[in-house]
Amino acid sequence: MPERLRFDDVEEGDELSARSFFLSKDQVRAYARAGGQWSPRFTDDEGARREGLPGMITPGNMSMGILASFLEAWAGPGTLRRLGTTFRGLVLPDRTIRLCAAVTQKDDASRSVELDVWLEGEEAERLVIGTATVALA
Amino acid sequence: MILDLHLHSELSDDSRAPVEAYLKVLQRKRAERPLDGIVLTEHRQFDPARDYRALEDRYGFLILNAAEVETDYGHVLVYGVNPDILARFDFSDVRLSAQALVTDVARLGGIALPCHPGRATVGLCDHYQRKPPLEGVVAVEALNGGSKKGEEARVEELVQRLGYKAYGGSDSHLVSFVGVCATEFDAPIRSMDDLVAQLRDGRYRPVDFRAR
Repeated sequence: MPERLRFDDVEEGDELSARSFFLSKDQVRAYARAGGQWSPRFTDDEGARREGLPGMITPGNMSMGILASFLEAWAGPGTLRRLGTTFRGLVLPDRTIRLCAAVTQKDDASRSVELDVWLEGEEAERLVIGTATVALA
Repeated sequence: MILDLHLHSELSDDSRAPVEAYLKVLQRKRAERPLDGIVLTEHRQFDPARDYRALEDRYGFLILNAAEVETDYGHVLVYGVNPDILARFDFSDVRLSAQALVTDVARLGGIALPCHPGRATVGLCDHYQRKPPLEGVVAVEALNGGSKKGEEARVEELVQRLGYKAYGGSDSHLVSFVGVCATEFDAPIRSMDDLVAQLRDGRYRPVDFRAR
């Protein structure tokens, strides 16, 4: 069984190693279709433009899923207890995105930590921001 | 004296940041963000009973309270909120008259300053394309920690064209970003009265501590 990160090994102020990767249109289409989100805004540039968007966009729940897997890659599978996000900008595919997080509080009683978490675009603009609670071993 | 003039705590509906957590970040990052204090600007509300003196004593930062309200010219920060201002304006109203706010807050002892003016829809620049400039605006937020590409250039043009003073704030909703943009004052500030006086007549400038 994969190991969970230990509570005692984490300090307030710890910054997770940022993760950057290229988010392709095919990945976004596959996610949207798998989730039954058939709206053109998630699958087709022309259709998205007809809705007034600059091109196809990433579903919000996909952005949340990406952030969730980023956090669990750090802390261990099954550790994420809560993730709340605010969508500040459009996450456009065919670009590199960057995932970042920092530990902001530790709770000794529950052996959990609070984190700030955010997704940046190529200009370092924060497109999705949020907070998360992660339970550690 | 360097203050972050614009940030939100868990009292705002879109933030979960505890005030103490902000102070811990400022303590840890003092070398890269050398701030002396913060001004909390909760959305659409002002609670005169809020008292952060215990945290001020524990962490050694000045903590002041203001508000961010919504007007027909976008969002505006109100400093020096007092009972007369609260009687005159319903801060929960999302269609406040910006002109009335700027004029009457000044008359009643405070100061109202537009924030993130370069931002679409909620910023002054967009509104100035369709409506006449407001009378009596002293300064605008030229640096905002949440700005996207192009917003600051729009504000720079506005400041040059209309002769506004410029200030800065992080607009932080997350603990990690407190103090990334702030305002440096030439004079010391120990109270909200000092801050209002300096914002009206003092010398200050936005400062940028964002990592490049």
